[in-house]
Amino acid sequence: MHELKPEFASTPAPAKLGRAIVITSGKGGVGKTTTTANLGTALAKRGASVVLVDADVGLRNLDIVMGLESRVKHHVLDVLEEKATLDEALVRDKHSQKLNLLAAAQTREKDDVDTEKMRLLIESLRERFDYVLIDCPAGIEMGFKNAVVGAQEAIVVCTPEVSAVRDVDRVVGLLGNAFSPQLIINRVRPQLVKKGKMLSVDDVNSILRLPLLGVIADEPDVIVSTNKGEPLALRTDTATAAAYHAIAARIAGEDVPAPTVEYKESFVSKLGAFFGGRR
Amino acid sequence: MAVLRGKGLGLEIALGGRDFEDALTELQSKLGERPGFYTGTPATAALGRTSLSNEQLGRLRSVLHTHGIALEALSGGLDLEPLATEAGLRFVALDDGGEELARRRALRPKREVQLSDAARSLVADFAGARADIADRRKRGEASVRRAVSAKQHQSAQVQMPENADAPLPGTLYHVGTLRGGQALAHVGNIVVIGDVNPGAELVASGDILVFGALRGVAHAGAQGDASARVHAIELAPTQLRIATFIAADAGDRGQTPIYPETACVQNDRIVIFPREKAP
Amino acid sequence: MSARKIVFTSGKGGVGKTTTTVNVGAALAKRGQRVILVDADIGLRNLDLVLGLEKRIVFDLVEVVEGRCQLRQALIKDKRFESLSILPAAQTRDKDAVTEEQMAHVMDELAGMCDYVLIDCPAGIEGGFRNAIAGASEAVVVTTPEVSAIRDADRVIGKLGERKLPMRLIVNRIRPDMVRSGDMLSVEDVCEILSAELLGIVPDDEEIIDTTNKGEPVVLGETNRLRGIYDKIARRLEGELVEFTNLDNTGFLGRLFGALKAG
Repeated sequence: MHELKPEFASTPAPAKLGRAIVITSGKGGVGKTTTTANLGTALAKRGASVVLVDADVGLRNLDIVMGLESRVKHHVLDVLEEKATLDEALVRDKHSQKLNLLAAAQTREKDDVDTEKMRLLIESLRERFDYVLIDCPAGIEMGFKNAVVGAQEAIVVCTPEVSAVRDVDRVVGLLGNAFSPQLIINRVRPQLVKKGKMLSVDDVNSILRLPLLGVIADEPDVIVSTNKGEPLALRTDTATAAAYHAIAARIAGEDVPAPTVEYKESFVSKLGAFFGGRR
Repeated sequence: MAVLRGKGLGLEIALGGRDFEDALTELQSKLGERPGFYTGTPATAALGRTSLSNEQLGRLRSVLHTHGIALEALSGGLDLEPLATEAGLRFVALDDGGEELARRRALRPKREVQLSDAARSLVADFAGARADIADRRKRGEASVRRAVSAKQHQSAQVQMPENADAPLPGTLYHVGTLRGGQALAHVGNIVVIGDVNPGAELVASGDILVFGALRGVAHAGAQGDASARVHAIELAPTQLRIATFIAADAGDRGQTPIYPETACVQNDRIVIFPREKAP
Repeated sequence: MSARKIVFTSGKGGVGKTTTTVNVGAALAKRGQRVILVDADIGLRNLDLVLGLEKRIVFDLVEVVEGRCQLRQALIKDKRFESLSILPAAQTRDKDAVTEEQMAHVMDELAGMCDYVLIDCPAGIEGGFRNAIAGASEAVVVTTPEVSAIRDADRVIGKLGERKLPMRLIVNRIRPDMVRSGDMLSVEDVCEILSAELLGIVPDDEEIIDTTNKGEPVVLGETNRLRGIYDKIARRLEGELVEFTNLDNTGFLGRLFGALKAG
């Protein structure tokens, strides 16, 4: 399979244009959408203007994770096909003025997207926002290609599982050097790593060999937050939220100490969390 | 010497220089290990200078028939020719060199050749597949498959010969890591300065050298040269192929050593040596 | 008689399609059925990894379709079972390397060789998905009790309906403690939303990641509690009416929260 042609990567951002970053993985279910939502939330909290773009036509989920599904009136395809303006399609976030969403179409197909028009749309979004975060669908078909077009940078999300590492490696190979991919390792369970029942960060990155943006531990709260439509990054009291804020800081160019995952405390306190103790 | 070997287009039953009953028992046991695996494969009985009675031939065919193997040919001394003709089998006369070799082999102790600790072997598990690869080669289809080079513009090719019979095969130099899903195919040698990740493939008519970790699939001598070799700083491939020999890690290597090793064909199987001990 | 050709699909990635395909296939094989697993995820193959058969791949689905080898040669028999084989996908190719007709043809050929053809579908609803369902006569939709997964499953069920493929549902990774505390949808909720017939309920299990990393189907382990659950799913597939088990006997947490069903 060929590497993506150069025209798929846009020109690097001049000073006034925002940064377009695609969040991808190849493997499904590793946390791309959750990462896009939380990262966007964290960046907005720092004062940047952010737009989240859901590129998963037909299987849209970013709006659910953000809790905005009832506010979506128009989607990306409406804008590309000029049935609605960008302003009509953009949805303002419930919690932050600086955060916006451009949802995907649910009843259309990925083949309906015109790649060149998508690229132009991302370019125009870069003119309006500091950050354009593009949530990429699983797989390496047309949906992937359309999500990547227009981005200059990529964040690759991987879980510590053999299948995920293989799929992510494939995607990194396809991206080539044009996107300067950086890695987030998601859903790490330190206890399992210690027991030798899960890949360690080193195991994962000895194959992927990418600059490490962050390591995020698995938490039941993530599922809860997804179901409720409230990204964890809104809170200040969970390790996951802290991890996303650190990642946002790193993306913004701050020199944040190396990512580590803390060993969870005793079984009893973990049990406490399950006994309906909502943190 | 093993009674059952993959050779050319099918199987060879090595009966030369040994007791027929012993050989037949061993054959039955070997075939019984993998019922159905050899079904449809043709076989040649190699007798060397040993004679074979009609009754023995009948019993041999019967055992093979139970496992779906058709005896096609007899090879040995000229006195076997009438037997072969009457039984409807092809006859292959043995020249003196072959006879001497068979005689010497028969004199060796029957247990497997003990390789030193430094020379570990991979398990050869693919008699049927080997036969197919050999078949393809015979039909003129190169085993150097159509595959796309990952980064053509980055690799410096020393010499790209037009046809496979060129006396000095050129070497394809690839700088960078090959990721899963990427493949390099070349008539000549291949050198990779970087890693070859799992899911990546190298196919060369000559040797393969990986200046890094080889974790994918490497096929050296892909057009039939069994003297081809695979070298790597860390030799930990998913699967190794040299000419028509294929081997997969038996799983007993433990942690792969990180010093240079060489794989080559010895005694009809792929063997790994530390580089300085390679023959 | 020709085999049943069942595709395991989901829409959402990462809900456990491959793990489910492998474990249901292994359970069926343990019960004496002849099973062939097909990896339809060309370019992102994983079925071989989850079974630990990666090192034995010589030929793949694409080479079969292109006529460069026989179907029989591409099949890899798992030696741990009486009759379980896989047809691996190609890794260095794309989904457009095969057409729907070609897939359907190969699945039919496979159906002549066994009792069950289980097709592991790629994530999404694009060409890879269409190819995978082209060769199937029934479907199993795998979902987790999460809103995103359910939404995607719903879309997929719609597409299966267009092709008139009968389907049943497996709810994967259920966490009884979270259902109790209201933090997770119950199985009943899921079935209600999707209007689907339930084939199985599989609880979340820490150990399963380790088994897939190591290539050991659950049904081969002695102690894993999921073993019984996959066995029940296999029996239901065979047509038996099997009750869904209680999770009561899973220790402290189970007793505390009362009976919650799985199986």
